[in-house]
Amino acid sequence: MAEEQKPGNPGAAIPGAATTGAVSSAAAPASPAPAAAAPAEPKPRVPFSPVLLKYINEPNSHTIEHYLARGGYETARSHVGVTEPATLIKLVDDSGLRGRGGAGFPTGKKWSFLAKGTGKPAYLAVNGDESEPGTFKDRYILERDPHELVEGVILTCYAIGSKHAFIYLRGEFILGFERLHAAVEAAKAKGLVGKNIFGTGHDGKPGVDLTITVVRGAGAYICGEETGMLSSIEGGRGYPKIKPPFPAVSGLFGCPTIVNNVETISAVTHIIKHGVAWHKQWGTEKSPGFKIFCLSGAVKKPGVYEVPLGIPMREMIDVYGGGLKDGRKMKAVIPGGLSAPVLTPEMVDKCTLDYESLASLGSMLGSGGITVLDEQVDMVSAIYNTMRFYHHESCGQCTPCREGTGWLEKVAHRFHHDEGHQGDVELLADICKNMRGRTICVLADAAAMPMQGFLQYFKKDFEAKIKDPAFVEKQRTYRDEISPKAKTLSATGAGPSALDVGSEMAE
Amino acid sequence: MSIKEVKIKVDDRELTVPSNYTVIRACHENDIDVPHYCYHKDLSIAGNCRICMVGLKGAPRPVVACAQPVTEGMEVTTKGKDVEEARKSVMEFLLINHPLDCPECDQAGECKLQNYSYEYGRDHGRFHEEKVVKSKATMGPHVKYWGSRCIVCTRCVRFTEEISGTKELGVIYRGDRSEIALFPGQTLDNPLSMNTVDICPVGALVSSDFLFQSRVWNLHSKDSLCADCSVGCNTRVDMDAKGNIKRIVPRRNDQVNKEWMCDYGRLSFPYTQENRLMKPMVDGKDASYKEARAAAAALLRKSKVTLLVSAWNTNEALQAVKDFAANHPGTTVFGYANPGRADEKFPGFTISGDKNPNRAGLKEILGLDADQSLKDLAAGKDRIGTLLLIHNIPGYTPTAEMKAVLDRTESVVLMDLADTSLLRYGNVAVSLPTLTTFEKAGTFVNKDGIHQKFAPTMEPVNFGRTEAEMLSDLAREMKAPTTGQGVGAVSHGGAAGTPSGTTAGKPARSGKAG
Repeated sequence: MAEEQKPGNPGAAIPGAATTGAVSSAAAPASPAPAAAAPAEPKPRVPFSPVLLKYINEPNSHTIEHYLARGGYETARSHVGVTEPATLIKLVDDSGLRGRGGAGFPTGKKWSFLAKGTGKPAYLAVNGDESEPGTFKDRYILERDPHELVEGVILTCYAIGSKHAFIYLRGEFILGFERLHAAVEAAKAKGLVGKNIFGTGHDGKPGVDLTITVVRGAGAYICGEETGMLSSIEGGRGYPKIKPPFPAVSGLFGCPTIVNNVETISAVTHIIKHGVAWHKQWGTEKSPGFKIFCLSGAVKKPGVYEVPLGIPMREMIDVYGGGLKDGRKMKAVIPGGLSAPVLTPEMVDKCTLDYESLASLGSMLGSGGITVLDEQVDMVSAIYNTMRFYHHESCGQCTPCREGTGWLEKVAHRFHHDEGHQGDVELLADICKNMRGRTICVLADAAAMPMQGFLQYFKKDFEAKIKDPAFVEKQRTYRDEISPKAKTLSATGAGPSALDVGSEMAE
Repeated sequence: MSIKEVKIKVDDRELTVPSNYTVIRACHENDIDVPHYCYHKDLSIAGNCRICMVGLKGAPRPVVACAQPVTEGMEVTTKGKDVEEARKSVMEFLLINHPLDCPECDQAGECKLQNYSYEYGRDHGRFHEEKVVKSKATMGPHVKYWGSRCIVCTRCVRFTEEISGTKELGVIYRGDRSEIALFPGQTLDNPLSMNTVDICPVGALVSSDFLFQSRVWNLHSKDSLCADCSVGCNTRVDMDAKGNIKRIVPRRNDQVNKEWMCDYGRLSFPYTQENRLMKPMVDGKDASYKEARAAAAALLRKSKVTLLVSAWNTNEALQAVKDFAANHPGTTVFGYANPGRADEKFPGFTISGDKNPNRAGLKEILGLDADQSLKDLAAGKDRIGTLLLIHNIPGYTPTAEMKAVLDRTESVVLMDLADTSLLRYGNVAVSLPTLTTFEKAGTFVNKDGIHQKFAPTMEPVNFGRTEAEMLSDLAREMKAPTTGQGVGAVSHGGAAGTPSGTTAGKPARSGKAG
């Protein structure tokens, strides 16, 4: 089934993409990871060659001619107007496909939640904002195989009964926008998008209509959050919306909406084409299939790699990524985009690339952006840089996130300049605790989680940056000595500092 | 969609509320306190301030009460460690970049940040970084913006989107740099703009009119009614220690004005002091009330009385007019109104173009259509002997019809608030000062037929008689035996001429009732 793939694509001369060739697992040597780290299931490794990224290194892979020549749109042609939509939803549900955008929600299940009989149109909104730092997978589909996405959109819309799909791209994807837009226009010209697509609407059969609108964002991280993206498509500020109601009930323009990631929708075509068993031959029981990972940081060969889920993370770093640069030592790995809590090398040894394994390690698979940090990285500076990002990107809607991200950045900034205070580590932890789970969307959590991870595993790095720890301690002792009343009050819950003045004056 | 009732449990209380309620509304309508900044009953839910968190049985962490719909059997806790901790953390976040400039802030004393600091604030700050400083701006003729105080609850933005529909305001920048700003080329100059000041829970949007006028705790408040148009917005009048009105703000009445009010009505109060008639006048000279009423009675007895009464009079005054007419056969009563203009309609509020508070009352009590009635009177050809004109309209310019009526009139007995163009128009023989709606009690019927009572909020600036009292005095005077005397004779009366001397210098002082 999975054909043998030639290692690499030496002929594909794409500027700036020298290291992004999809490496087949068949061509890769056996995993050097310790046996304990191997996936638990006994089934032998099924050979895998890239599916989604198979053609990206071929010249003109983005054109409709290229896509049709390799059998493109045949899956859609054989199903649209023929197969019952419910059958397609069940097929995707059975395949166990999970959302590739970060949360990993089962796609078929999400589709089945779409509100029916509301009298309103249903929409598909494809999330191509891809703004999670360390993630650059959708970009390759958009720029080099946009028709794969368009066919997925056609099939998905047919399955969920939507006549209008919106594809939202981040503003910086200029080439991606041009190519996707051209792909939609080309498909329209061939009658694959528009009215009565694939020749439906004849011989008494109902016609199938589909409009695809490609929307560009303006460079905001928050517009990658599903409801933030919907607000942005509606023409408003990219403010995430309160859930419930979930988009499947009331989403875009108040209508039932399914929001899926570009990679998820692209995978739908292949799953419908090849079937459930084909998809389930890879991956683990709860994370079947394959996924694109984006490897970056201190590895020899950073790039995008499409691999079956469940392979050891060590294999990803050491085999696909060629190990660390210049023989450096690994200090930490951020496994699923910047907001995923960091992993230590010991955890990396135990980790496999599937949703469950990372969740059990207190982190997440997320969007699949793996960033490797080596021993030369100053962890405090790294977290400062991270916090700067979230402070800059918080939409400012909810109080804990709006104020908390800025506070975290400012304290991290002091640490970065070796000016931490005694108690700041505890303060950072407390701010993170106060931010988590108290906002409309998860940006506050996304900002707090990396900080919590860094504080948990690299606390010493922070403590080393506290300026004269004794100084603050001395002050504290002094205060307690001159103000014993305040001390007793503080023990009862009333704080000392506000009462200091009063008690001093009383003495 | 049918709205059913559901039973929920809040703390230890069982509540039965409509199924379309949110938890915060269910709590507020049952006097259970849930703190809130961004939530407003008449605006859409934003759910961004996060202070209204409550515990929900079965939920892993506190949820925001404003966005949580009620469901049957729901168990809510508004107290407890989790909830307190969540609210405390939100308070801390809100204040880290807040300038804490309460001593010079107009909102101090009625600020939600202050109120909730008292309940959920920390005893000391943990924020030792530089605060974010945001811009100050003049949003419009009546509204100023102090950015640094703003907590970006977006109440004002939602107001301009949903109630005024004028959409001048939006949020600019992101994160803790977020500010409220005008869209390019816009000014917050819609006639409802000052409501944004009322709904601003902090001192970010302040009224240019009230700015630095008073500390709010030095004001005392009385409930009143706006007389500026036929809507009859319920108001609260805030006055300083001397009784001077400092500002007028709307008071909630869901049947009439919800919690809104227009800027015209809000800024209309200076007429309470401007050019007010302080003393009765006879033939353009100050006179005592006794002299004036005798002169008026003489004029009224001379010929058949034509009574012209405006739609600015209370039901009580109109009833007195009706009684007067009934007791004096031959009296004809006509009504008139301040000329109107087109209604100003907004998505969530309508400012009536009928600039009369009691047109409906005039119809109800005297059966007069104000506009038609004046036309009828103006259309007549006969000379009018004595016209008793009960005016009370501030800022009135006589219409062509009014001029036609006055031109045919020999002498006018005028009851009015202020020294206006009507007084100057001529042939006013006697003028009697009246009271504004802030100085008297009464009832107005608004455009929807709702009867609304109001009480005086301040002491009368003049001698303080209502129209009803003066009409009754006139009626008594007209029946009195010592009639037909000139002004001099009346003034000569009093102490010397009246044997008992009972009434002299002792007018009934019921003007300060209520």
